[in-house]
Amino acid sequence: MTAIYKKEIRTYFNTLTGYIFLGFFVAITGIYFMINNMSTGSLNYADTLAGSLMLFWILIPVLTMRLFAEEARQKTDQLLFTSPVSVWGIVLGKFLAAVSLFAVGVIITGIFPFILSRLGTIAVEKTINVMFGYLILGCALISVGIFISALTDNQIVAAVATFAALFVLFMIDSFTAEMPISSVSSLVFAGIVIIVIALILYCTVKNLIVSAVFAVIALAAEGALYYLNPSLYDGLISKFFGWFSMITRFENFYAGVFSLADTVYYISFAFIFIYLTVNTIEKRRWS
Amino acid sequence: MIEVKNLTKRFGKITAVDDVSFTVNDGEIVGFLGPNGAGKSTTMNMMTGFISSTEGTVVIDGYDILEEPEKAKKRIGYLPEMPPVYGDMTVTEYLEFVCDLKKVGIFQKKGMIKEIISSVGLENVKNRIIKNLSKGYRQRVGLAQALVGNPGTLILDEPTAGLDPKQVLEMRDVIRGLGEKHTVILSSHILQEVSAVCDRVIIINKGKIVASDNTAALSDKIVGNRVVVEIKCDPVETTEEKEIITDITESAEEVSEGGETAETFETPEITAAGKNIDEIFEVFDMPAVIQSVEINVKEGSIEITAEGEEGEDIREILYNICRENNFVLLVLKPVDVSLEDIFISVINGNMEEEELLNAAMEEEPAETEETETAESTEETEVQAETESAGETETAESPAEDVTEELKEEKENDGNL
Repeated sequence: MTAIYKKEIRTYFNTLTGYIFLGFFVAITGIYFMINNMSTGSLNYADTLAGSLMLFWILIPVLTMRLFAEEARQKTDQLLFTSPVSVWGIVLGKFLAAVSLFAVGVIITGIFPFILSRLGTIAVEKTINVMFGYLILGCALISVGIFISALTDNQIVAAVATFAALFVLFMIDSFTAEMPISSVSSLVFAGIVIIVIALILYCTVKNLIVSAVFAVIALAAEGALYYLNPSLYDGLISKFFGWFSMITRFENFYAGVFSLADTVYYISFAFIFIYLTVNTIEKRRWS
Repeated sequence: MIEVKNLTKRFGKITAVDDVSFTVNDGEIVGFLGPNGAGKSTTMNMMTGFISSTEGTVVIDGYDILEEPEKAKKRIGYLPEMPPVYGDMTVTEYLEFVCDLKKVGIFQKKGMIKEIISSVGLENVKNRIIKNLSKGYRQRVGLAQALVGNPGTLILDEPTAGLDPKQVLEMRDVIRGLGEKHTVILSSHILQEVSAVCDRVIIINKGKIVASDNTAALSDKIVGNRVVVEIKCDPVETTEEKEIITDITESAEEVSEGGETAETFETPEITAAGKNIDEIFEVFDMPAVIQSVEINVKEGSIEITAEGEEGEDIREILYNICRENNFVLLVLKPVDVSLEDIFISVINGNMEEEELLNAAMEEEPAETEETETAESTEETEVQAETESAGETETAESPAEDVTEELKEEKENDGNL
């Protein structure tokens, strides 16, 4: 893992991607800082970070598009996967390298709240919380980017697909407002979710009986629950998407509160995508 | 030691590697020979654990590649068809990375890199960025990568592909040198390469092993023991006579082209030490150990190709024949069977059998193969079996049985 990590860090700076990333990151955050803090005289650095969240759409693909796609194109994956290193080690090494570079960016932008603290009194703890939230949100999104990079051997495809995926993740909140709120539509939606989960289960364990039993039991439970208490299903769709929304979960951090639940959510989100990446790679080698 | 057992790989409906089994002992250099698309790379990818097998196992020094991958992979160095190098690193940086990847200790690292760089001849370019290197050097960097960690076994997939002739020779020297310390398995579709470097050859075609033996034994088995003798002809005629003769032949050709007469002119008899062709044939065909004789008349000489029994050295006998009959001996040399011949004969043999198989399916076995020149006695047996089977079976399902028999025969051939 350390070998991969070192190599990725080196490659970021050998290929200029690292410098471009950091330069762009600091420059854009600086512009937001000028608009939100300097020109308005506000001492709330959270505004700058929240405003610059859109930056992730471009920054995350830049960080992750190359990671696996380029290995596959150059066939250097043959070296990695025939070396005495586990696939987990390889994926984690790459993930941590991307996270490190991102963290360096976040630390450099720490100069902005420092400037603010010279000009007036800032809430140090709140600022640290929002920066931490910003960092782990970034980690979660990097894991999505890595997953997409492992699906293709073309960097550009990986970049565009990551951009699209992040766009959807960010826009989920706007979509939820338009979702139907009747309990029947929620029932149908929950049914679809259960079937999708059953299909994923089938694809993973390749056992028809297990996944079929799961689907039947879950659907029966869903029906029973609806029979007993239909009001549970009111507005389920928007609740569901709201729960998944990356942005909604950033609100606590934005308010300057450290939220354990949201931290766990982001970390599990990252873990799930790393797991999916490992699985995709393993599966391709086993098919 | 590498044991490959019943290795099979299917991609959907396509069977890329079909039930391949072989063993490579320590210290051997084994060549994997086959046309493009025969399944060489797929087999190697399975042996190194890059892809999994559909069925079968690969065991390296007692460790199964799928069950204990890290231990098994530590014992292999792999050079894939395209060297897995990172263009943006220098050679030394790259080798350092591979050392880290293969968990070489910090203290051994420097010495190991130095040793490898000198053993594959990369001193001049060790601080250059890999993407600026020529194909030959990149291939060497790939080979250097395989050597990191000092693995007992090297698996090299087409190590000379894309190199110029000089680089090919250099690469072969390097590989031969490595063979002294490592077990080497290399694949190639170039026959000279395998015969130049390897102790043993495994010929693979359409995912199956069709032959596996050391080079010499393989040639003995398939082509036999043949010697060419060239003796001088007696001077036939003076130059003037020769001119007349050519004139006559030319005019004869004109006539025959015109289609008026098909008269053949008798050319003056070619003799050697007073014997004509038929007599020469008899003289050479006489000893019991000589199985067959072919005579080919050249300008000023007669070339005789004699085939001896397996394991017999017939050169002395041939020399004595020449001496006793006062033939002027110009050339006496054993026929060098190149791997090319073996390769083609093995692969063609398979194809002919397949044709046979198809013919049997169509229930017309006797008609199709009559004109085929029987390569070996085995093949004639096959034909005989086909015929008799076709005749004796009842009309209900003769084709199936015949096919089965042929398949058996084919398998036997494969075990050469």
